Amino acid sequence: MTVMKITLGCLYPDIMSTYGDRGNVATLLRRCEWRNITAEVRELRLGDRFEPGEFDLIVIGGGGESQQRLIASDLHKIKGPGIREAVAQGAAALAVGGGFELFGRLYQPGAGAELPGAGLFDAYTIGHRAILDDHYDTLSEARADRAIGDLVVRWGDQLLVGFENHMGGTYLGPAAKPLGQVVSGFGNNGDGSEGARLGNAIGTHLRGPCLPKNPALADFLIGAAVMRRHRDTELPPLADEAERAARQIALRRAWAATHGRRARVTLRPPAAGPRWGSARRRGVPGLSPQGCP
Amino acid sequence: MTAIKAAQMSSVASARRAFAVSMGKAVRGGSRRLGKGDGSAVPGAVALAIDPGTLAGLVAEITRGAVLVTGSNGKGTTCRMLAEVMRAAGLRPILNREGSNQLSGLATSLVASSGRFGHLPADDQAIGLFEVDEGSFPGIIKQITRPSALVFTNVFRDQLDRYLEPAYLMSVLERAMRNLPADTTLILNADDPRVAYLGPELENPRLYFGIQDTRHGRAGIDPTSDFPRCPRCGGELTYDCVFYAHLGHWTCHGCGLARPEPRVRLTKIDLLGSASSRVQATTDAAEMVLDIPLPGLYNAYNAAAALAAATACRLPDRAFSAIERVTPNKLRMERVEVAGHDVYLTLAKNANGYTEVLRAVLSDGQPKRIMLGLNDCAGKQPDTSWIWDVDFDSLCGLIPSPVITGNRAHDLTVRLKYAGWLGTSKATALTTEPDPVRAFQLSLARTPPGEPLWLVSTSIVLQQVRRWLRHQGFVREAWQEQDQRPGVTL
Repeated sequence: MTVMKITLGCLYPDIMSTYGDRGNVATLLRRCEWRNITAEVRELRLGDRFEPGEFDLIVIGGGGESQQRLIASDLHKIKGPGIREAVAQGAAALAVGGGFELFGRLYQPGAGAELPGAGLFDAYTIGHRAILDDHYDTLSEARADRAIGDLVVRWGDQLLVGFENHMGGTYLGPAAKPLGQVVSGFGNNGDGSEGARLGNAIGTHLRGPCLPKNPALADFLIGAAVMRRHRDTELPPLADEAERAARQIALRRAWAATHGRRARVTLRPPAAGPRWGSARRRGVPGLSPQGCP
Repeated sequence: MTAIKAAQMSSVASARRAFAVSMGKAVRGGSRRLGKGDGSAVPGAVALAIDPGTLAGLVAEITRGAVLVTGSNGKGTTCRMLAEVMRAAGLRPILNREGSNQLSGLATSLVASSGRFGHLPADDQAIGLFEVDEGSFPGIIKQITRPSALVFTNVFRDQLDRYLEPAYLMSVLERAMRNLPADTTLILNADDPRVAYLGPELENPRLYFGIQDTRHGRAGIDPTSDFPRCPRCGGELTYDCVFYAHLGHWTCHGCGLARPEPRVRLTKIDLLGSASSRVQATTDAAEMVLDIPLPGLYNAYNAAAALAAATACRLPDRAFSAIERVTPNKLRMERVEVAGHDVYLTLAKNANGYTEVLRAVLSDGQPKRIMLGLNDCAGKQPDTSWIWDVDFDSLCGLIPSPVITGNRAHDLTVRLKYAGWLGTSKATALTTEPDPVRAFQLSLARTPPGEPLWLVSTSIVLQQVRRWLRHQGFVREAWQEQDQRPGVTL
């Protein structure tokens, strides 16, 4: 058996890692290690150039508006073209939260100039309130305007679990495909879509971090990276009992949240348009405690 | 006519206050008699609902004003240390009970301290000392409008689904701080760049505290730092020495902002295992060696904060050594004797806290019996992502056969798996038991006779175990103990 090797590019690990995002990198590295795949991590900071041929897997984590302001122009001007080229060549990518928002065309803060993004996904995000400036007096006011809670997404024949904490204003353009459909939670903007997908690149609001409890998603990214480097996708299965147990709990919670005391309410058809809090409690038939693998 | 009207109005107001306070007291007494716990928030909420000015009015009656302590970690312990110093200086501090640090909790404390007619007993040695939840700070300083000092311990990423991202929290806090009167002394952690740079436009007097003993630091930058960037210009911070997370001796080469020279300095710290430490402290007037019966660098910071606040309050130097009398807060390495074992209930509620608590317990490098817990606030606050920023990796093997518990125990197990604590296939001694009481019994059974057991966890797990221990007669309620201490209100 040949020794397989892939290269991970971690974008701004010092700035974009607000929600335990290094857990996603740790998951990718361990799952490679357990399969005897050598994974080299290269950190890409502000000012570093991005050579598209070097990277098989690109990872960017989440961060708030102040972090997004720091990285936006670097991402747009210095790294964006390389990232788009790498993904076009088949590289895998995972962009989470604030990183996902800036992998789109632009992020419009509640106040001030828009932040142009990497332009990988045909998507844009609108921050509807100026959270960093003088809009909110208290944190509870700011919290009430955000989508915060558990999030379950149907991705092909899989369910992805995690939670979300964002402004809920991500809109997909005609050229973008969502990652999946919201089963429980809010998603991009309340229209039932969540995340974005382009080739092997995935953008999502799923936090948790998302890969440890969604090993299928981690293996999809590793598989795509190995395929790009070695034209080979044979990934031996791993013993995922611990991950499955944690998934089971997350799915049961989401099921209880949507089918619990609000059972009758949840039979309504999906609410139209981004109304805060409405889609979050929407129940979707098909999610049950047995719904996980 | 106007005078009569004013007198009538003021008598209406004072009757309303008396009614608010007595209703609050009634609720408090009732909830205790019914065994529903100490009723720490409800009485205050009742009083505030009847008279929204209750808290403001009662605080205004405290002769020597109020000191507020806020920040992410260390508020409670800093308050306890400072309270000891105040008592040694002959003052009678009015404290809020640890954890009751939001608006209604604060109101409860003052309602409990006041008399039937809605006034605090006249006492020219009374001083307010209040721990304030950082998220509730804006609301609280609308009531406590003229604190004599504000202590800011540190700011860490903490419960993002409650406090949001630290930058948001700080922007809300800074706006609230603009309403402080110009003579409120700000007591700030010099080693925390974000705290040291609080309210740059404010002209308030400032007193910084910090650690000088660089033997406890590392070079470079902590990868889990919440504030790797300069709070003023956004440039990259460089550190001569990092104590933990973003706390250390920092400089921004972009704009020249640097750690201010602290006036209260810990010049030498000896960490004495998992129970205590010895610090050498220097203030303007005095130099002293203190034996603090609490472990870890984070408690040294708490001592520095308390010394700085005592300095700002112009308390006599001879009282400073009273810090040595501090006892651990409820759930802060709280010792309970159970079946011949010393059991330590140890709260760790965010990434930095969890790492530092484990480091303090395991500082001598010897394996220890530790039960690890993780829970979330079911349904409301699902975020446990911070466990991926806890440094479990370097502690691999130091905790033999741990039991993992809490409603998110499985998440923690996955975290430990990826930290290398269990192989992918080989059998492991790590046990996942979501029920805290069963997990505790299991941990206790696994602990060799006479050896101590630490319970390190987020709060709900610890509260459940503590409740069980109380039912078994191993612990007494904190309020029962506190009520019997002389000279302490609440």
